[in-house]
Amino acid sequence: MAEQVTNHEIETNEHGHAESSAHTEKSQDVFSQLLNENIGDHHSLSFFGHGHLDLPKIFIDNGFHFYWNGNQMEEAGLFTEHHHHYVRTSDHKAPALDLSITSLVFFELLGAVLLFVVFKMVAGKYKKNPDKAPSGFQNLLEVVFTYVRDEIVRPNLPNDKVVNRLLPYFISLFFFILVLNLFGLIPGGHAATSNIAVTAALAITAFIVIQITAIKESGIGAWFHHLLGGAPWWLFPIMVPIEIISMFVKPFALTVRLFANMTAGHVVILSLIGLIFFFKTVFVAPVSVGFALFIYTLELLVAFIQAYVFTILTAVFVGLAIGDHSHEHEHADAH
Amino acid sequence: MDASSLAYLAAGLGAGFTVFGAGLGIGKLASAALEASGRQPEAAGDFRTTMIIAAALIEGVALFAAVICFVLTTK
Repeated sequence: MAEQVTNHEIETNEHGHAESSAHTEKSQDVFSQLLNENIGDHHSLSFFGHGHLDLPKIFIDNGFHFYWNGNQMEEAGLFTEHHHHYVRTSDHKAPALDLSITSLVFFELLGAVLLFVVFKMVAGKYKKNPDKAPSGFQNLLEVVFTYVRDEIVRPNLPNDKVVNRLLPYFISLFFFILVLNLFGLIPGGHAATSNIAVTAALAITAFIVIQITAIKESGIGAWFHHLLGGAPWWLFPIMVPIEIISMFVKPFALTVRLFANMTAGHVVILSLIGLIFFFKTVFVAPVSVGFALFIYTLELLVAFIQAYVFTILTAVFVGLAIGDHSHEHEHADAH
Repeated sequence: MDASSLAYLAAGLGAGFTVFGAGLGIGKLASAALEASGRQPEAAGDFRTTMIIAAALIEGVALFAAVICFVLTTK
């Protein structure tokens, strides 16, 4: 009898234990789901769990295929969804090129369209009344624009000719990154800059701008000479590899900096919210929400700082790539 | 203790050391910049710009370490 009771007790204990471990597993599931929903890239837009908007699917695979949503794609029968990936129905392999609009691409396009419309509007205002003082939203943009021009671009580039040529690029870069960062702070929005592919693409364009400007401004000979880094010619076995590596490290650092900064903020906020699910009490909520609010305001600051840092570092790198040989002349004069 | 728990330990310790180094670096940088702008308040804007660039570079290195820690947790 006693044995039975203890057995029963052990069983219930085991049962209880199993239940609680199932609970923790469940709360971890909630957390990873939260992380995935808020940081991952998706084929649809979700509105706080109230409905989905399926985004268009585009494939290039023996021709161009376009579908407005998943249902249309399934009906057409050429492609199907398999474990959150789109594959050919015939052999369950990925199509040659999947250009489907995902949530991050959607927010990127939204940012681009928004910037285009806003700047077109403001430019129209300047064209209409060139002598009138700016008003309203025009004022706000003018302040940021002149800040980027006078504080970020101009001090780092050698002359006004280069400034005027590269200013459109830097303005677009700054505002594009800023808008993408800010989209991440809108509830239901995603920061496209928290995906490493997006920041890598931005850094690759920066790399191209840096190299082309350097070659255009100082000539191809000076560009090759720059690979020596100002050292005597017989040091080239060491200097040339170092200079080539540093050429590629710069955009890589830009990529990782923006990506990690934007992702880290989101992960910290979600971890703080996730604490509520881990402890499963309401009493953690004020602490978590309070800290999350603090991190949120910090992220608002970081969104501006990272846009500023990405732009100013690109400007500094352009300036370095152009200006190095003139510095060498100064050094040569000094010696 | 198996290999994956060692990886988690390494990631946690690594993240801590990363914060230690980055905090020390940026703290020293900010103190130097504040001292400089205290001596020469009219050049405070220049110091701020240079400080932010240097801080971004320090942060970049720290983030490389943080990414390595992150990769370790997914091992």
